[in-house]
Amino acid sequence: MSVRARLALWHGGVLAFVVCVFSIGVLLFVSVRLSRALDAQIDQDLATIEKVYREETGDLGELAHRMGLVLFEVVEGQTVIYRTVGWPPAGATPYRVRTTGDALHRLSAARDESPLRQTLSTLTLILAIGVPGALTLALGGGYFLAGRVLAPIGAMAEAARKITAESLTARLVVENPRDEFGRLAAVFNDTLARLHEAFEQLRRFTADASHELRTPLTAVRSVGEVALQRHLSAEGYREVIGSMLEEVDRLTRLVENLLTLTRAESGRIPLTLEVVDLAELATSVVESLRVLAEDKEQTLAVETAGPISVRCDPAILHQALLNLLYNAIRYTPSEGTIRVSARATPPGGAVIAVVDTGPGIPIEHRERIFERFYRVDGGRSRDAGGVGLGLAIARWAVEANGGRIEVEGEEGQGSVFRIVMPQRS
Amino acid sequence: MRPTMRVLIVEDEKKVARALREGLEAERYDVRVAGSGEEGFFLANHEVFDCVVLDLMLPHRDGLEVLATLRRRGLSTPVLILTAKDTVDDRVRGLDSGADDYLVKPFAIPELLARIRALLRRGRPDQVLMLRQDDLEMDLVTRKVVRAGQAIDLTVKEFEVLEYLLRHAGRVVSREMLTREVWRIAARATPFDNVIDVTIARLRRKIDDPFASTLLHTVRGVGFVLRGGRR
Repeated sequence: MSVRARLALWHGGVLAFVVCVFSIGVLLFVSVRLSRALDAQIDQDLATIEKVYREETGDLGELAHRMGLVLFEVVEGQTVIYRTVGWPPAGATPYRVRTTGDALHRLSAARDESPLRQTLSTLTLILAIGVPGALTLALGGGYFLAGRVLAPIGAMAEAARKITAESLTARLVVENPRDEFGRLAAVFNDTLARLHEAFEQLRRFTADASHELRTPLTAVRSVGEVALQRHLSAEGYREVIGSMLEEVDRLTRLVENLLTLTRAESGRIPLTLEVVDLAELATSVVESLRVLAEDKEQTLAVETAGPISVRCDPAILHQALLNLLYNAIRYTPSEGTIRVSARATPPGGAVIAVVDTGPGIPIEHRERIFERFYRVDGGRSRDAGGVGLGLAIARWAVEANGGRIEVEGEEGQGSVFRIVMPQRS
Repeated sequence: MRPTMRVLIVEDEKKVARALREGLEAERYDVRVAGSGEEGFFLANHEVFDCVVLDLMLPHRDGLEVLATLRRRGLSTPVLILTAKDTVDDRVRGLDSGADDYLVKPFAIPELLARIRALLRRGRPDQVLMLRQDDLEMDLVTRKVVRAGQAIDLTVKEFEVLEYLLRHAGRVVSREMLTREVWRIAARATPFDNVIDVTIARLRRKIDDPFASTLLHTVRGVGFVLRGGRR
């Protein structure tokens, strides 16, 4: 059953109940009041009759004449003193009879009850016809009103139906942002916006990934094609094949990185949590990459103070720090300085900072450098086989361990990357 | 002269199968190739092999199923599985089904050869105390390296790389093998090639540059090889 029909029925049902209770109340009230009024009238008649009977019994005939429609009877002991024509009341006309007096005298009077009954039956008729009529009207009106009220939902549903992956930019019209429907539309629009963003990211990612895949594929292809057309020595062909294999290596690494990220994002990389000494981890990462810094005549320093116990997956966090430090060494010019520091933030937290004297990251790129394939230098310098996924993997690796990754530093003044592991209470 | 080892390759992808066959034959293995799970099963049941290389993604009959059946029938030949899926689950399933080792596609042929050698060597104790190539000597006990009578001072990593190269002397060692075996980093997504290149360059400066002949060679696109100088 539609919400509209349910609303109308509920509304009608409640109304019917209220109206029925009210009608019955009115009927009872009116019938009691009318009946009492009739009784009072008859009692008054009896009083008059008694007065006349006590003062001047002979005038009872005269009284009967004056009282017209009132029938009465006066009895003394077993003797009927006076009795109007038509006593005792009988026949089709209903009479209300009341009696008064003591052991010796008995006075009875009767009045026609049919006007009262008439009134009551008319009232009953009016209610019997009026109430269902009113209810029908109310039901219809309720249905109509519910339709009016619910119309925006239908419109929203219709609008939402038209929104597909291709038209995610479409939005619902918010008529009144403060009412319930306005809020609903706003929430829906908000969801759409996020969906749109996710789709855009996916689209960009696919485009970037295929671009990144195409580049080495093109290299393999053209190197091979050119070599086939030339007559080279065995050594020459060896060079060509080697060069092709290098591109294959790049492709392989790219696919590995993509797989890691995809798996990471769908949560299919299980973490092996243990208590790890981050000072030791930082030192080991620094030592493993030290040859690179030495090769560029950079100063690579590591500053830690005592063991730092943090609960995390060491292999995954290792990779995060490795990627950060690798980038720092890569982007810091020769003879620059890179400092890695690790300190504990009790209880249970830690911060690892990688500070370099490289070119720094312009503020407009800072939000996006952790996105897949995002590169600050649009020129896509691909030296050292970077594929633009290192920071994305680092961010995932840190966040998977419950931490966060931060970047700061002025352009031209070097940058600071921080892995912040939260405190535990 | 060692007796010829027999290797069965079960792989449906023709190009890969051919490359594997040629790579193994160059190492003087006797190679049989099966193009399907059924054929592989049949061959493994009717002939004797020293090692089986089994692709997991086979038409009609899944590699794991073949392996599990072979193991149930009591086959104890070492089996190396090749898989394109490298989730932990797949590995565990593979090893549970009775595989001795696994390699994830795309793999490097030098690595496959090294794994096969390791499988065939299995169970034999490694009693080497001294590694030697031409006039280069490495004493694994005192950790001293000498070439042509001159002592050479190496860092820990340089020593480990040279040891690995010496143990695989005459055979190509890929960067990936060095990453995993010497640096002990399992993640394949790690940017470690530069570290290896720099370390190799330094090693070369110490063990080759001062001497007349070159021992450590780069095989472009594949890796490095330590082999005797041509005279």
